Amino acid sequence: MEPLLKVENIKKTYGKSSATYTALENISFDIHEGEFVGIMGPSGAGKSTLLNMLATIDSPTEGKIYMNDTSIHDMKEAALADFRRDNLGFIFQDYNLLDSLTVKENILLPLAIAKIPAKEINSLVTRISKVFGIEDLLAKYPYQISGGQKQRTAAARALVTEPVLILADEPTGALDSKSATDLLESLSKLNENNNSTIMMVTHDAYAASFCRRIIFIKDGALSTEIYRRDQTRKAFFQEILDVLATIGGEVDDVI
Amino acid sequence: MTLFSLARKNIARNFSQYFLYIASMVFSIVIYFTFVTLKYSDTIAEKTASSQKLDSLMSGAAVILIFFVAIFIAYSNSFFMKKRKKEVALYALLGVRNRQIGFMLFFENLLLGLVSLGVGVVLGFLCSKGFMTILIHLMGYDVIAPFTFSGSAALNTAIVFLIIFLVTSFQGYRLIYQFKLIDLFHASKKGEAVPKPSMIVAIFGVLLIAIGYWLAMQDIYTSKVWEKVGFLMTALIILTTVIVGTFLLFHSVTDFLLAVIKKNERWLWKGLHLMTISQLLYRVRGNARTLTVIAVLSATTVTTGGAVYSLYYNTNDQVMTANPNSFMYEQMDAKTDQQISAVLSETKYDESIEALSVTFNTKEFNEALIFNSSDKRIYTVINEKTYNKLAAIQGKEKLHVNEDNAVILDIGYDKRFSPKYKGKTITTENNTAITFQSFKKQTVLNVGTVGIAVVVSNDQFKTLQEEGEVLKYRVIGVDQASIDLSKKMAKELPEEALFSSAPQDFQTGIEIVGSLLFIGSFLGLVFLAATGSIIYFKVLTEAEEDKSQYNILHKMGVSAKEMRKSIASQVFVIFFVPLAVGLLHSAIALKAFSSLLMLDLAKPVLIWMIAYTVIYGLYYILTVASYNRIITQNNRTEG
Repeated sequence: MEPLLKVENIKKTYGKSSATYTALENISFDIHEGEFVGIMGPSGAGKSTLLNMLATIDSPTEGKIYMNDTSIHDMKEAALADFRRDNLGFIFQDYNLLDSLTVKENILLPLAIAKIPAKEINSLVTRISKVFGIEDLLAKYPYQISGGQKQRTAAARALVTEPVLILADEPTGALDSKSATDLLESLSKLNENNNSTIMMVTHDAYAASFCRRIIFIKDGALSTEIYRRDQTRKAFFQEILDVLATIGGEVDDVI
Repeated sequence: MTLFSLARKNIARNFSQYFLYIASMVFSIVIYFTFVTLKYSDTIAEKTASSQKLDSLMSGAAVILIFFVAIFIAYSNSFFMKKRKKEVALYALLGVRNRQIGFMLFFENLLLGLVSLGVGVVLGFLCSKGFMTILIHLMGYDVIAPFTFSGSAALNTAIVFLIIFLVTSFQGYRLIYQFKLIDLFHASKKGEAVPKPSMIVAIFGVLLIAIGYWLAMQDIYTSKVWEKVGFLMTALIILTTVIVGTFLLFHSVTDFLLAVIKKNERWLWKGLHLMTISQLLYRVRGNARTLTVIAVLSATTVTTGGAVYSLYYNTNDQVMTANPNSFMYEQMDAKTDQQISAVLSETKYDESIEALSVTFNTKEFNEALIFNSSDKRIYTVINEKTYNKLAAIQGKEKLHVNEDNAVILDIGYDKRFSPKYKGKTITTENNTAITFQSFKKQTVLNVGTVGIAVVVSNDQFKTLQEEGEVLKYRVIGVDQASIDLSKKMAKELPEEALFSSAPQDFQTGIEIVGSLLFIGSFLGLVFLAATGSIIYFKVLTEAEEDKSQYNILHKMGVSAKEMRKSIASQVFVIFFVPLAVGLLHSAIALKAFSSLLMLDLAKPVLIWMIAYTVIYGLYYILTVASYNRIITQNNRTEG
């Protein structure tokens, strides 16, 4: 089967001639439909840079990223906008909700942008809010709900369009363990039941243990990768800690 | 639900942000519309038919107004757009095309502009009567301002502002194309390098300002520099050195001072002093350009306002100096005198005096005089007795004139251009010589009727009677002489009577200076509002950027009171350092202006400066309050 996403020899450098800083180099990997991939690595390893490039809000210095055989950084602006609208869903660490819209309006924003009929919007929003357990909060404003609820709203917004690829940048970074577990279980469920493809950047081994496959990055280069296969989540968590210990990443946020 | 309806909802719920923007646009429109209404007003036009200058003056002022209004709106627009970056970025990320976002911003901006235009014209219409009343009052008229809507003023305003709005809307449209998506998300997170103060640049800045000041303080007529370099060039040099110097001052000197403060650890490491000083160090240099603009704007406003207000303030004094008597004319025949007496009801005094008009040979004056003048001058001559009689009535000092000597009464005396009277001798055609023992800068006879007068001894006067034409003048003093009385008298008198009238002179003077004062204050108000709002917007943008820092402090247990104190002192520096520099600049400019016009401006200028500072201070209070609100609100929601 053709991979959904193909990353080929990505390199990203910052700065000019004398003071260049290489954030990423020689990154290649494939992601197939229905995978739940975690990207791990110590701070400054280039995780977020990689995700930003997959999200098309940043572009690589060298190399190409193909999605369904289309090089996403060679698209024109308008086509790129459509591409993002139809294929991608984002969950950020700092939520990025619009404070002036209600929870419901925040969730339906991408549907409104995609010009989905109002009737359909209502049923889609109701369904996704049930998945994330926020159906009672729909009329509230972001400043009236907790951080965990905000993040679930942001996740609902990212997933309501049923995107081909969901990108999450440290989605549990600002959450307490209960809220984090709720969110991760929801994502995990979506991955299993709907065959959604999810890619999540995290430095938290606990969050990563919900993934099916983990790619480790260190100093801007691919380090290793592990698959969960049939292990229990706890066993996988232990394996992640072991890998982190060998590649020298920080180990924190233990359960 | 469409994107546009969501965007509309966003406007409605973010109304406070939009309100600020709409309010600044409405304010600009009200000011401009009112001003143009006055320009087109029939009432003002009729009243000032005599002074055609007002119309061109107002047209010129309108152009300046457009200029400032445009800058002001562009500034508030960019501030407003900055606040929406995140929203715009989110739309883009969710897959809205740039074109669509651009159009949304364009039409939203245009719509806001049109709403403000409607509100502004209505408010401006309501305000115009008030402003017209002020103008009419300042010009010394006694009519009631009409309440009329001027169609041409509305059209003029609409055209000017539509153009401005189209331009700013286009800027909004371009916003999305100007930034990369990643910058929109991480714009505020980028760190700036902490500036390193440079001693040399600091010294250079102070030096430039000193040069500018020194040049400005030179006497325009006698200075070698002004003569050599040329008037226009010197003025330009002064402007350039002072503005560049001001910029360097903010760029380096303040940094330098703050760096010195930073060395004093005992003071610095106490409470939030560290935070305050570091923030300032970080801000002042980055804002050097804005601070320079503020200082220069303040200086311009205070200087023009101060100058015009001084003229207004001194009008009465000048009229009193030139017209020591309420009325004066040359007596022709008894009939006219009777007619005048019939018009006059109550007088303080009403005297008839004898004077001579004598042509003198004044060759001796021309030595060391800048401007060449003729060798012959005609003076009005009176004797000591007449002078002392009038001086007593007018409450002036008595005078004693020695035999063969004289005292000249020259109110326009200026040591730079006037002859050095003292000790000089002038002769009549028959070689009767008189020598000036002194001169006086005040007179007892109205200058408009007699020109420069010379007082001689009683005996000398008799001698001179042979040589000059004998004239009779009637001098009249009236308490609170009215312009109506003056007009009645003028009607009775022929042109040759050289009628001079204090109320008429006052009216003419106040008409011109009053409208100047009005335009000056009006523009001053606009400049002030623009200056205040620019800092307000600037500081609040910084507040948005810094609120996370204050949240950290809040979490570290810093009390709200301490934070308020730190904020107040930071904003104080941003507000009042440029004000102080601006006031210093204008003080120097006004000093130059006062020595140019030989007027003492200290009091009116001080009044003007205090008024400016007070209104400016209100902006400061408003800004600090808004800043605190942003911080406390953030601390409350972020916990």
